[in-house]
Amino acid sequence: MHSFPELIVGSVFVAPFIRYAVAALIVFLVLRPILHLCRFAEIFSHPAVAELSLYVTILGWLTIAF
Amino acid sequence: MTVATTTRPLGLAGAPVSAWAFGIRIWLAVVVALAASFWLELEAPSTAAITVAILAAPTRGQALEKACYRLLATLIGVAAAIAITGLFSQARDLLLAAFAGWIGLCVYAAGLLDGNRAYAAVLSGYTVAIVAIQQIDTPQNVFETAVARGAAIAVGIAAIAVVNDLLGAPDRFPQLASQLAALHRRVRDYAKAVLRSEAPDAAAATELLHDVAVLRSEMASLATESESGSIRTATARSTVVALVAEVQAARAFNALPATADPAFRENTVAALDRSNERLPTAAAVGPDEADRGALPSLSVPLTRAARELLRRDAEVREGLAGLNAGSLPRRTWRTPLYRAQPVAVAAGIRAAACLALPSVFYVLAGWPTAAASLSLVAIVIGLGATTPNPKDFTLLAFIAAPIATVLAGTLEFLMLDGVNEFPLLALALAPFMIGATVVMAQPNPLLSGLGRLNLIFILGIFAPSNPPSYNPEAFLFTSLFVWLAAGLLLTAQILIPTEASERGQRWIMASVRRDFERVLSGWDRRLAPEEAMFRDAARIGRIPAGGTSPRGNAVLKEALSYFDRAAAIRFCRASLAQLVDTSLSHLAADAQKALAAQDTRRLREACLALEHVSSAERALAEEISAELALAAIIIDAATQTTAPVEIVS
Repeated sequence: MHSFPELIVGSVFVAPFIRYAVAALIVFLVLRPILHLCRFAEIFSHPAVAELSLYVTILGWLTIAF
Repeated sequence: MTVATTTRPLGLAGAPVSAWAFGIRIWLAVVVALAASFWLELEAPSTAAITVAILAAPTRGQALEKACYRLLATLIGVAAAIAITGLFSQARDLLLAAFAGWIGLCVYAAGLLDGNRAYAAVLSGYTVAIVAIQQIDTPQNVFETAVARGAAIAVGIAAIAVVNDLLGAPDRFPQLASQLAALHRRVRDYAKAVLRSEAPDAAAATELLHDVAVLRSEMASLATESESGSIRTATARSTVVALVAEVQAARAFNALPATADPAFRENTVAALDRSNERLPTAAAVGPDEADRGALPSLSVPLTRAARELLRRDAEVREGLAGLNAGSLPRRTWRTPLYRAQPVAVAAGIRAAACLALPSVFYVLAGWPTAAASLSLVAIVIGLGATTPNPKDFTLLAFIAAPIATVLAGTLEFLMLDGVNEFPLLALALAPFMIGATVVMAQPNPLLSGLGRLNLIFILGIFAPSNPPSYNPEAFLFTSLFVWLAAGLLLTAQILIPTEASERGQRWIMASVRRDFERVLSGWDRRLAPEEAMFRDAARIGRIPAGGTSPRGNAVLKEALSYFDRAAAIRFCRASLAQLVDTSLSHLAADAQKALAAQDTRRLREACLALEHVSSAERALAEEISAELALAAIIIDAATQTTAPVEIVS
């Protein structure tokens, strides 16, 4: 497990989790049109929960990898 | 005689099951928000709970859209708070003046926007109240307060988003689709009434246009719901524009004489009912038309009007099908917003004045904790700015404040009374949260407003914190301040007059005439004719209803006549633009000049000339000729029936 580098914006310390959450949100928003092309909503019985799970997956992957 | 049997939806104690499910979702979201805030040891946990209460909306898309705007508005408000505090912290009176100016600016911006964007504008306003004004004696804490507030809002948003997703909050688009389908039925009934020459009055048409235009603000919430959301938004927008176009196409029949070919009109009604695009066959022209040798016969514009009506009806049906399936229609349009600058400026100035009066009172009273009450005044101004009648909203807040005080007191001192275990807090909150939300979901606007305000005020007065403090003095002060804020604001709003509805009518009619001059001169905005027509319809929908007075009716009739003429002229101009590079460009130029002067005689001559060309563009020229003939009839009918109405205040 790696350590979390500090992010300081204008002498304000930003917590690592916030960084990952915002980055995961950006990745998710970029992925949305691709999901629509793959007909993501039709694969699952509950698309809202599927999208939430996908967001949590992206967040976890970003936390582990970066 | 038919007996209609309706199955009542499943309900408990008079409220449908969906309202109870909504209530339970909000209660759970408040509990999750509080739990997360206490675990993270945030400084303002009650802000997280109040965020959930403010974002409480029955569908996922609405809650998420409001959440995005709340976050954005908080960022803007925090930046403004830091700026205002940094500039004016040494001079308290200047700080209050700057604050009133900022609130006025935000209310002005809210007047120019609609829906949740207007809410974001007012939120930027009262964020400054909460962050800067409550720290008016300790400006060095402004930044920390801002960060704490931002964190609490983010936790509240995350709580409601997760709970909505996991507990199956319904999507917005099925409800929007059924609203649009109901509007489509009303537009069809209106069209059939016009076809049967039953002459529905101007107020009916205005109400229809208003109801269609008002849906514009609801469409953006579809985009946040699902990955096909942005497509559904575009489809919904195109459907409303097509609905306005269908109303305009139906109104064209008002200009055509009622005696011209009633059988054809009946066949058109039947075609509408059958929902098909095949045009009924036009019967022979009446005997008196044969005398007007040089004038085009009436069957051509009649056929054209019927074809347009059926085409627009088909577009609406295509849009509704696309909304349910998540696909785009053949043509997509945007929905431009009509911005009433004078009305927005007046609202902004009034809000600044309504804030300045209570602040003078508080400064003179000199109470040490009055800053909290002033921020509540700003909050009530802000929440009321997005309602159609801010004074009614303040009155509702004034009535809701004592109710919320009693309920919060029961919760804090009777039910909880000193416990500090979180599960007990969660259980104790349940009846109040679920009850207020179920009342909020009622269709009665008075009850719904009371429920919403109670949901917010109960959490505001109870102010859950960790560890909990059961201080009766703090409770009494908070309740008194809420009541005082609502009362002072109501007094200020009564003392500072709102503009008379006649002045609002005058402003809008002046804007209508100005835009019509631009349409005639060809200096129209870069909008497609259908989009410009939607903007006109939104403007007509904003004309304050003058009741059933003859003057009010005359104003509506004049506005509708401008609407009809402007739409017809725009369509003709767009079609004539197609002839610019062809051999018929000189005829097109003649027709454009005739349109600019509203000269129907020259227009009819151009129409005849186009009908009898024999070049390669014959089919297009015939289409345009029919369009020009119909436009000439509409312009004649409009200029004959209405003269400009002088509104004297």
